[in-house]
Amino acid sequence: MTQEVEVRQLNVTEGCNGKCEDCERYFECDLPLKETFQKKGILSLIRKNLEGVKYKITVLGGKGGVGKSMLSVNLAAALTKRGRKVAILDQVYDCPAIPLMLGVPEGATLQIGEHGFIPYQSKWNIKVISTGLILDPDEVIIWFHDMKRNATEELLASVDYSDVDYLICDIPTGTSSETVNILKYLPDISGALVTTVPSGVSQNVARKCLYILSKAGVPIIGVVENMSDTKCPNCGTPVSIISSGAGEGMSVEEGVPFLGKVPLSRIVSETLDDGEPFVIKYPDSEEAKVLEHVTDAVIKQCEQAS
Amino acid sequence: MVQKTGAREVVRINVELKCDHRCENCERFFDCRDERKWKVYGRRRMAQAIKKMANIKHKITISGGKGGVGKSTVTVNLATALAMMGRKVAILDQDFDGSTIPRMLGIQGIKHLKYGPNGMIPANDALGLGMKVISMTLVYPDEVITMFHEMRRGTTEEFLANVDYGERDYLIVDLPPGTSSDACNLLQYIPDLDGTVTVTVPPVVSQLAARRATILSAKAGSPVLGIIENMSGYICGNCHQEFDLMKRGGGEALAEELGVPFLGRLPLHPEVAGACDEGVPFVYKYPDNPVSQTMIRIAKQLEEIVSKEK
Repeated sequence: MTQEVEVRQLNVTEGCNGKCEDCERYFECDLPLKETFQKKGILSLIRKNLEGVKYKITVLGGKGGVGKSMLSVNLAAALTKRGRKVAILDQVYDCPAIPLMLGVPEGATLQIGEHGFIPYQSKWNIKVISTGLILDPDEVIIWFHDMKRNATEELLASVDYSDVDYLICDIPTGTSSETVNILKYLPDISGALVTTVPSGVSQNVARKCLYILSKAGVPIIGVVENMSDTKCPNCGTPVSIISSGAGEGMSVEEGVPFLGKVPLSRIVSETLDDGEPFVIKYPDSEEAKVLEHVTDAVIKQCEQAS
Repeated sequence: MVQKTGAREVVRINVELKCDHRCENCERFFDCRDERKWKVYGRRRMAQAIKKMANIKHKITISGGKGGVGKSTVTVNLATALAMMGRKVAILDQDFDGSTIPRMLGIQGIKHLKYGPNGMIPANDALGLGMKVISMTLVYPDEVITMFHEMRRGTTEEFLANVDYGERDYLIVDLPPGTSSDACNLLQYIPDLDGTVTVTVPPVVSQLAARRATILSAKAGSPVLGIIENMSGYICGNCHQEFDLMKRGGGEALAEELGVPFLGRLPLHPEVAGACDEGVPFVYKYPDNPVSQTMIRIAKQLEEIVSKEK
């Protein structure tokens, strides 16, 4: 009689082919082979190219649509308001949203100068580097994994990053090769922010991000919960559109600072569509206040620690 | 790497394009002009996949382009709505990074996948609706593992070529977001796809992503059956007034632009999110809720659309 056997593991190969640059298990690996990769050309080129940058902040989300780009853009704007020189690196391949959120006109492209690609200067002096400034708006290409890695290398090694205080890296959704590749290639990350939403089902992915960050040795500045509680404009009843509080609960469980809740509101969605960050357009709003608090934490981590 | 053509600098990315004739693993499948690629359907795992899926009448993928629009929620509730109509449904969860389907069905950590004489046996749903579910989280429910590229491809192959789907009216596949090779692998692997339902949310950036996802589906020869605009408006639990959190209408405009049916708007409602977290699909738990009513109507409309195609 054939018995039914429970599936405990799936049969997939996990060999090491010695190519660290392609490897997604990089942070889990203890092989001495890694050291050879770390001394390699492209990593030292990137390190040299990023010398002009004082602080590097990565913004992760793990799950899609949680508001990483919104956070990156408003953090950049808040830092600019405080006199810092900011650049945003948009590493989202499939749907680069950052140029749109900063009012960059459609069809704008990167130019090339003496020291590499020149970042696009947005209206608020925020420098933007994005795949959205390279591809045509209607161009749909299927992103292969080696293409993504090559794009990461190019955007890190061949862009002119001189005279930048804060480089904010918006890291693509997911917790596999895209995230690992970028963390691998970026030397000396000052801190990371993790974005999540209040629903219980989404927390596991945010947890994975925290796990990868700790494996990679990146200091965690804190967790931000987006699409959070708001109020009905008619009757003023508090509204938790996506069941409340799980983001805060998760960061308490994982022992990382919880930086605040950004409400799910028209201010956020409209300003993103219109291309003007809400910290600039509505500086006294509750949403902007949360972002200023996040900015305080970022500045504290970077400027006061050193 | 940088070429100047006329007035504009054109930047291209430098990649090697080798062909090792393993079409089933190839990410460039849709862009490849080599006629030999079609032979892959006769070979190895692709042939197995065709056999295993031979008794599934209709296969629909749920795509979004952008993450976090509600593909998984729509997958679960569309499948449940069809099952409530008496159809035999299977759900294939292809989300390896943010898998939420087993949790939304209340079977995470409770049910597991098993191997039988005809391949992997899907898990059953917890409501007695006869739904079959395949998901990574049913194998590794608690471990916070990172799905690497090779593992994802291998798992996709397993889930298509080695699962005993049996006789089903519908297979609903939750696609990963984006236009990366993972989404493409899937579209090429599933034989005889009826089409895709695109889920979008009101903001402009989502329409851009949805449009790209549609172009990708077209490349794969899979028509767009319709567009659903999710998170479209909010109904207050207290005063029952509806208000907008995001400027509405982008989904409808996109549907008109692409010439595909606009299937409907799903407003936000506290009962919906609550049900998701509790592990019971909202169409089942609150069938009289306006969101559920729309979902049930969409299920009926889709059934009409796919029955006509065949």
